[in-house]
Amino acid sequence: MREFFRRFYFLIHRRRLNAELENEMEFHREMAARTGQNNFGNTLRLREQAYEAWGWTWLDRLVQDLRFAVRILLRAPGFTLMAISVLAIGVGVNIAAFCLFDMTALTPLPVPEADRIVRLERRSATSYTSEMAYPSFLFYREHAKTLSAAIAVLGVPPMQINDDLQLTSASFATPNYFTELGARAAYGRMLDPASDASPGAAPAVVLSYGLWERRFGREPAVVGRAIHLNGKPVTVVGVAPFAFATLGGQHPDVWLPIALQPYFIEHSTVLQDWDQSSVRMWGRLAPGVSAKAAEQELRALTDQLRRQHPAAVWDGEYLQSSPGGHLQVMQPEMYRVVAMVGVLTLLILIVSCANVGGLMLARAVTRQHEIGIRIAIGAGRGRIFRQLCTESLVLGSMGSIAGLSLATAVLKIVLTKVDAPGWLTATPDWRVLLFTVGITAIATFCFGLLPALQIARQRQQKTTARQIIVGAQIAASSVLLIVASLLVRATQHALYTNPGFGYQQLASIDPQLGRHGYTPAQARTYLDQMQSRLRAIPGVLDVSLVKLPPLGHTVTSSSTEIHGRKVTIYPNWVAPDFFRTMQIPLRTGRTFYPNEKHAVIVGESFSRQQWPGENPLGQTVGDGVNQDGVNQDTVIGVVGDAHINALNDDDALEQYWAAQQDDMPNMVAIVRSKGESSSLAPAVKALSASLDPSVLPEIRQLKMLYRDRVAQIETIAGIVSLVGVVAVVLAASGLIGLVAFVVTQRTKEIAIRMALGARPASVLYAVLQQFRWPLLLGLAAGAGTTAFGSKLLRITLYGVNNLDPASYAAALAVLALTASISMLVPAARTLRLNLASTLHHE
Amino acid sequence: MPMRDMSEALSPAGALPMLILRVLQSEPLHGYVIAQRIHLLSSEVLAVEEGLLYPTLQKMLRKGWVEAEWGISETNRKVRFYRLTLQGRVQLKHELSSYGRITQAIQEVLRTA
Repeated sequence: MREFFRRFYFLIHRRRLNAELENEMEFHREMAARTGQNNFGNTLRLREQAYEAWGWTWLDRLVQDLRFAVRILLRAPGFTLMAISVLAIGVGVNIAAFCLFDMTALTPLPVPEADRIVRLERRSATSYTSEMAYPSFLFYREHAKTLSAAIAVLGVPPMQINDDLQLTSASFATPNYFTELGARAAYGRMLDPASDASPGAAPAVVLSYGLWERRFGREPAVVGRAIHLNGKPVTVVGVAPFAFATLGGQHPDVWLPIALQPYFIEHSTVLQDWDQSSVRMWGRLAPGVSAKAAEQELRALTDQLRRQHPAAVWDGEYLQSSPGGHLQVMQPEMYRVVAMVGVLTLLILIVSCANVGGLMLARAVTRQHEIGIRIAIGAGRGRIFRQLCTESLVLGSMGSIAGLSLATAVLKIVLTKVDAPGWLTATPDWRVLLFTVGITAIATFCFGLLPALQIARQRQQKTTARQIIVGAQIAASSVLLIVASLLVRATQHALYTNPGFGYQQLASIDPQLGRHGYTPAQARTYLDQMQSRLRAIPGVLDVSLVKLPPLGHTVTSSSTEIHGRKVTIYPNWVAPDFFRTMQIPLRTGRTFYPNEKHAVIVGESFSRQQWPGENPLGQTVGDGVNQDGVNQDTVIGVVGDAHINALNDDDALEQYWAAQQDDMPNMVAIVRSKGESSSLAPAVKALSASLDPSVLPEIRQLKMLYRDRVAQIETIAGIVSLVGVVAVVLAASGLIGLVAFVVTQRTKEIAIRMALGARPASVLYAVLQQFRWPLLLGLAAGAGTTAFGSKLLRITLYGVNNLDPASYAAALAVLALTASISMLVPAARTLRLNLASTLHHE
Repeated sequence: MPMRDMSEALSPAGALPMLILRVLQSEPLHGYVIAQRIHLLSSEVLAVEEGLLYPTLQKMLRKGWVEAEWGISETNRKVRFYRLTLQGRVQLKHELSSYGRITQAIQEVLRTA
């Protein structure tokens, strides 16, 4: 250790120490001369050797290399700028993608001990749901010793503040939500367990900062005022802070204590009902307890609960815990999407690295003179290689810094546009910086190593290197372009193709009678009356009932196997006229009789897969999803596919059962109208008010919901297309540069050929033929890779086949055309050479 | 002890640090005198060239076996003297014993084989 300090001391004072050494050697020389020995030797060389003993030569060489690299790069501003821009794009895209991932999944929420927060969801071998019954939640809260706190959140349809036309989003939560997250109110107070835990407490509500800004004009005096929510008076006790970190990225505009739910929704039995899965559960692990230990204890509790209340718990159910302390709770399936996005961004990095590599190769040829001199005066190959690597490092670092700035700027803009939570910031944290360093190292390695090796060894393998570079760029660009075109096709498909049901004129009306405490008989009466009154409204063509409405909040599915293949089945419970109202065609058989038991209607694809080539009518389906307890239902009809709750998944299969009396409190009405379904809203409101004023059904227009879904995939397609276009532009410009360079090198040869009478076509062929194979192989490799990996995309493609020939052909054609033009344009210019002057010049 | 480790200890160039340490044991000296003394004491057999002396001295400085200080030479000139440190004395003892072991071992083979 002390040796290092001595070395360090030497490093700092080396100039002085060097001078002393010189002095000393001079003295030695004098003394030696006095005694007649004149063979002291070269002091400079001796000093260098003495200096080497301290082991700092590598540092000096590095500094020397760096200075030289910077000088050389400044001397060629065109090259440097181009290389930095290309690198900035390649690295920047990767950094932006990682930053997004970091923000959603890696950055802990700014709450105390965010890593101890877990999200608990019900899972079994075949099913999964994100919500549980409130009494189950209370059971776990009471008995779980491995959780120091349990939080429940209940989502409800938007509520009306005072007399507003537009509704506000609302959420009920257990009061410890805010104390556990350590949130401090901007004004007033947040809900807390001391004041708001009991159902008899004074009704209190907390406003979100955004709502306070928009609707209450930032008046501090609103705290303490009474407002009306859905007609019920409640006091505003506080305003949430601007940078309020919520669990799971929810951002309701008002927060209410969960104990007060029955106050707002009259006759609601949600809080006592063991059957209704309504709350989302979060927990905080007790100190020193691991998530695994908590899961085990919860498993035991789940088994205990099943013995006491078998209706509330599935067979083989357990609670799965996921880290809840981040913006997005990452399900295991999501990591696949993340990996896919990672691969796509890596592709554009490959394109930019190959591009810069090509630039460097071209430049290497112009530096042969300089390198030759250096070798002649004695530089070792290793030294030159090291110096070239340093240059690449400098270039890579500058490109990375540019890329980091670019990514941060873009993300800042995106965050403000997307209305992200206030605590998120685009400033890179240590994880992003570490990632940047890693990506820089990879990129520098890719584009710097090969040219440096080539130059140092002075071997003339230039053609192969160029071919690899061109091939890599073409392959990577083609993958990006094909994926982009698949997504664009999917968007078009989603927009212009019939999804199997007529969404244009449909609206869903959800009175949530179950939450208002309606018995099945009461619900039936209500729904019958509602349906008949709806039919009486002019413009209404058809009315029906369904349990899981199209594009609804709740999605239920079960995965099972058909002939060894895993499939996902979406079940539903419907009234007999459902198919007619939804305009889902009946292929064979018939629809249900009212309340028919042991009968099931299946979707086309299901019947084709389960009974290929046979008549499906009369076959039996034995799934556990039947509510009656009897496991065998007979198929009485087959309808066309209608992925009403899985729009984008073309592989989804449907099964329908007839709605029974017990389903009535959970049924949703659907209405098909002649004109715009939005014009129905006032009539429906008046209607429901006359039936039961305490019930405020949620009315949703399917056309708008559908458009929102499609907008999502439009955005994704847009982004990927942008990246693809950038990749193609990079590849094209790289190609132009390389070809122009090759042509310049061979100007003399071309001039001679043409002077000797060669035709332009054959000259072009001679120059360009080295690029023929890389182009073809690159296209083939790109298409092959995409075909192989695109299975993962299927689920987002809205029914477009992942091997859709039109998309592949279009993408490859565009790329081939661009590449050909990039090659021909610079090459063709040479054909207009002035032969005489060229030959004279040489 | 593997023979490869021995070759450095046995060659005069490899033994130079040990010789320098030994020479410095009695008093601090400057570079020229160190070389001269080794030359004379070895009856002019060993001639230490500067190309070896100064790098070795620097290495010993780095390892902390000697330290440098300013002094006045015989010719009234300010010059750097090298002095043995405590660590250097320990190193000298260590090297002497190791060298003694090796030479004894070689002599035994020569004598009896």
